Amino acid sequence: MQIDPSYELIGARNVRVEIGGKLILDEINLKIGVGERVAIVGANGAGKTSLLRALSGTLPVASGEVILCTEPLGGLSRATIARSIAVVGADLVLPFATRADELVALGRLPHGRGPSGPTPHDRERAAAALERVGASHLAARDVRTLSAGEKQLIAIALGLAQETPILALDEPTVHLDLKHRVEIADLLVSLADRARTVVAIFHEIDMVRQLFPRVILMKLGRIVADGSPDSVLTAARIADAWGIPQERAARL
Amino acid sequence: MTSPRLLVGGALLLSGVAVLAIGFGSVAIAPGDVVSILARQLFGVGEAAQGAGATSIVMELRLPRILAAILVGAALAVAGGAFQSLLRNPLADPYVLGTSSGAALGAAIAILLPIGGVAWELGGVQLAAFIGALASVGLVWRVAGIGSGEERIASVLLVGYAVASLLAAALSLVMLASGANLRAIFSFLLGGLDGATWPRLAAAALPLIAATTLLALRGRALAGFLLGDEAAQHLGVDVRRERRIAVALASLATAAAVALAGLVGFVGLVVPHLVRLAVGPDPRAVLPLSAIGGALLLLLADTIARSIAVPVGVITALIGAPFLLWLLHRARTGYAL
Repeated sequence: MQIDPSYELIGARNVRVEIGGKLILDEINLKIGVGERVAIVGANGAGKTSLLRALSGTLPVASGEVILCTEPLGGLSRATIARSIAVVGADLVLPFATRADELVALGRLPHGRGPSGPTPHDRERAAAALERVGASHLAARDVRTLSAGEKQLIAIALGLAQETPILALDEPTVHLDLKHRVEIADLLVSLADRARTVVAIFHEIDMVRQLFPRVILMKLGRIVADGSPDSVLTAARIADAWGIPQERAARL
Repeated sequence: MTSPRLLVGGALLLSGVAVLAIGFGSVAIAPGDVVSILARQLFGVGEAAQGAGATSIVMELRLPRILAAILVGAALAVAGGAFQSLLRNPLADPYVLGTSSGAALGAAIAILLPIGGVAWELGGVQLAAFIGALASVGLVWRVAGIGSGEERIASVLLVGYAVASLLAAALSLVMLASGANLRAIFSFLLGGLDGATWPRLAAAALPLIAATTLLALRGRALAGFLLGDEAAQHLGVDVRRERRIAVALASLATAAAVALAGLVGFVGLVVPHLVRLAVGPDPRAVLPLSAIGGALLLLLADTIARSIAVPVGVITALIGAPFLLWLLHRARTGYAL
């Protein structure tokens, strides 16, 4: 796959984020290009979710600059951001009974205007997204009655329906059994292509090694390593980032 | 059935029921006569075949009341549906931010003030209720920090409850001191459209129609809120801005409705749920259809209320409360709200 290194899909320059005076992210510098498949790893509280939020504009930066599709994020409207990056959250909690296909159709919100509901085209794109994740059979089900694995598929379909160049996922395999983890992981690999970059927060080091050509390791709000799995996920770095003995880390 | 078809069908049904309701009463007027009176008086079409008495009953007594029922029912149902989506709470209703207590307190104080006479005719009580409703929403807005970007849904609900409780306590004190006026205060609390005259309707119509219509058209932004604030942002919704707009419009519609009709309960709670059963939870479909449904329900309830001389708020509660219990029962046995 040919990736144009000059096209900056996601960029961060000296990004610093504070919440209530507390430093959340600091000295964040990164550049992600078209079609890349990037895992963000690190211990709980390392700033992984905050990084995704800063890159998608839901967490304001104190200083520095975030770039989205070569443009400064600060100057983009929410709808423009939502047409560039889809963020699949940790869980789906709905206040009312909601069919899976109705929910996935909400992914079309940033592409429309005005008071009218989903257009036939929107419904078609939602159905295609459900099919892409292999969940067409769940279309008429109430999302609230689905299993954790099924919900995760629907959440990813919602992100796909946004038809963005970037798909970001926050722990897409959390709470899932081995079968569903493998399914989701394989799906993410198949989704990343010239048209779509995948950035995901992941906890399973073994899966990250197999599936992601690029790994970003975070610790205490900073990026401590960024590169191939072999160069980033060394025993010494794992031991340091998660605070475990190095001889134990060597066996991960 | 798609929601545009349901909307057209609902509007036709509402028009038909409105014609029947205008004809219904101690002096019955045939639907055909109602239509020809309306056509002649409103549009100058046709000739005067009906007596002056029937014309006067239709135009002076019944039409303003029927229009008030339609507008108030639509406003309450749309505001309730919007609050349910915005706060992600199936039990939210138009009064969730203390509107009802604020309006009741305002009305009670106005009833006790020695204004009477002309001010009464022009709707002094209604104006006081309107101001009271907006004041309570303003208080909740300030304390809960709506639109600040840091508000939590649970705290908005709790602040609303606290403010409503405080105002209800003040209302109780006013009622204790009200003596002979207790009955007037009580009838406001029960809700009713007896006072819906042309001047009062005209005064309330602009905020009622404008706020309800604008709110019913903002379903796209509210749809994002179904998944929560963070997800709404990821779907392109400017959460702070849209929440301010939706709360302001819903509160304005509710305040105007309460000023005109007193505390009519259950319409705003139940109608959006009924609509969701038919078309799903997307507010782009739920809100416009709730306007039709709320108008229909209050029109029917008011027609019953007129015929047995009971406040309409009692009728909506008699219909609405068992319906809510049924919904809750279903929630426990499978379908969840």
